[in-house]
Amino acid sequence: MAAVVGHCVNIESILGVPTVPLIISEFYEQVKTHHTVQKGMPGLRVTYLIPPVWGKTAEQIRRDIVGNSPPTGKMIMREIVENLTKPLTTEEQKTGTIEQSAGPASYTDTLDNLQRIFLENRMTDYMPIILPTEGKVAQMLKGTSHDPDEVVGKMAAHTAMPGENNVEVFEHWSYTVKTVAINAVMAGAKPEYLPVILAVASTGKEAISVSDNSFTEGLIINGPIRDEIGLNYGIGALGPFSQANSTIGRAWNLLSINAGNCGRVGTTYMGVIGNPMNWNNVIMAENEEASPWQPFHVRKGFKPNDSVVTLCEGWGILSAKNSRYSVWEREMDFSGTLKKIVADQDMLFGAMAVLSPPVADYIKEEGFDTVEKLVQFISESAGGQGNIPQAKKMPPLPKGKLPQGKMPFRWGPQINIVVTGGANNNYWSYGGMAPRQSVLIDDWR
Amino acid sequence: MKWRNSTVIPAVLSISLFFCYSGLDHQAQAQGNADKEKITVLSPKGQPPPIQMKPMAPRLDTLDGKTVYLVNDGYLGTDILLGEMQAWFKANMPQVNTVYKVKGGGGFTAEDPDLWAEIKAKADAVIMGMGH
Repeated sequence: MAAVVGHCVNIESILGVPTVPLIISEFYEQVKTHHTVQKGMPGLRVTYLIPPVWGKTAEQIRRDIVGNSPPTGKMIMREIVENLTKPLTTEEQKTGTIEQSAGPASYTDTLDNLQRIFLENRMTDYMPIILPTEGKVAQMLKGTSHDPDEVVGKMAAHTAMPGENNVEVFEHWSYTVKTVAINAVMAGAKPEYLPVILAVASTGKEAISVSDNSFTEGLIINGPIRDEIGLNYGIGALGPFSQANSTIGRAWNLLSINAGNCGRVGTTYMGVIGNPMNWNNVIMAENEEASPWQPFHVRKGFKPNDSVVTLCEGWGILSAKNSRYSVWEREMDFSGTLKKIVADQDMLFGAMAVLSPPVADYIKEEGFDTVEKLVQFISESAGGQGNIPQAKKMPPLPKGKLPQGKMPFRWGPQINIVVTGGANNNYWSYGGMAPRQSVLIDDWR
Repeated sequence: MKWRNSTVIPAVLSISLFFCYSGLDHQAQAQGNADKEKITVLSPKGQPPPIQMKPMAPRLDTLDGKTVYLVNDGYLGTDILLGEMQAWFKANMPQVNTVYKVKGGGGFTAEDPDLWAEIKAKADAVIMGMGH
């Protein structure tokens, strides 16, 4: 809905054409108090619809549009006409600049009160934090050579797709190295983790997406940094079994909440169901040593000794045992099973397979001595089990020729393979998660 | 002189208990001070940008004889919604010329410069949906 507001604000202010954005009434508060204000047009004349619209028949909608808009009680079509013809009020014609403040630079109180203040002001993830004293932050800043006042990046509750020319949906907050360090302290991170957290922060990618889809985010971490800071890529690699894995993901969350204004239910967070992976994100340090293939970052063009973090976004990761194809058999056909699972998966974010080293070894022994060969095999028609599109970049959608009833997404399809975890059994996981940018951690040491 | 256990043990226990109690007392006091002691911590917030207020477009005197673009931003069901609105205008305000357009660009947020140029040249007003 924020996109519609953004486009209409631009049409009004740049093109000089009056507009009426149509938005379902569930978003009334969000639009009225947040989106229109942040975009500098609090008087934008939105007409709110009777929800939902998606899924209704033409007959139901025909009835709805001559019904009353829930917030105003006016007949919807008459209100649209009025919104286009009623002269602007003085309030609606205001221009100028409004400075915004993020609040005080510091807080002084007792330990208990400070925990409460941070929680009540939504500066935490609702779990206790390490209070960021000047001393603890100074200690954290020893983890990088960068100036504390250096601006690391800007973040909003929604990131546009790479390479696209997009209207700004949410305002972007900026933050410095010191801001990142403060949030890293709060998360319980060690100074040596800071370069990873700064590398992630430098992308401006939010850990908590506003989307009503309840997306989650993830990190794939490669290179020497894994051992230097004790990232777990053995048994339980994706779980909470090392300080580094646990706190790096949490630091990203806290940074997103505090420095990107993300995760505020009703305005910058609208996930319908929510996602338990949002607690800490999907943190994956690759088990490069046990993998039969080139590490993920090397396949992306980095050197083996580079320390790299790759950001991912999507639905999340779950055990392949969840699939009807991945049954316990005397002899497992891992590549075939992988192919069938991918064929049945929604390709909005493509497919991400997280293979344990033994499963990766089995697949290699089947003849897939490179990941590229495996991806090619998976991408081919799945022989009666459904078809998936070829794993190549989708062509741009034709302008103005969007097929009716189709969603205009264009991330997928793509297939990504990560090897991590223990060697104690033949298990693996999969999900819909698309890698976005990869960043050199070494640049933030 | 020979030390007798019956004397030594109670004495040692007493001394130990004294120091034990004393340590607990100090710990409790320290805890009490920590509960009351105030410290200063840093704000974890980033910096929000200033808001530049933008002018709304002047409204029309009437829609009669005007061209209203109904623009589909791509969300499911918007084609039906705008189609029904177009039909309503035709039935109830036939003097209004409506034009249905699908915004291109491959996503809700994507810009469509060609459509914006067309709107600037041909549209008197825009109805855009849908915020789902």
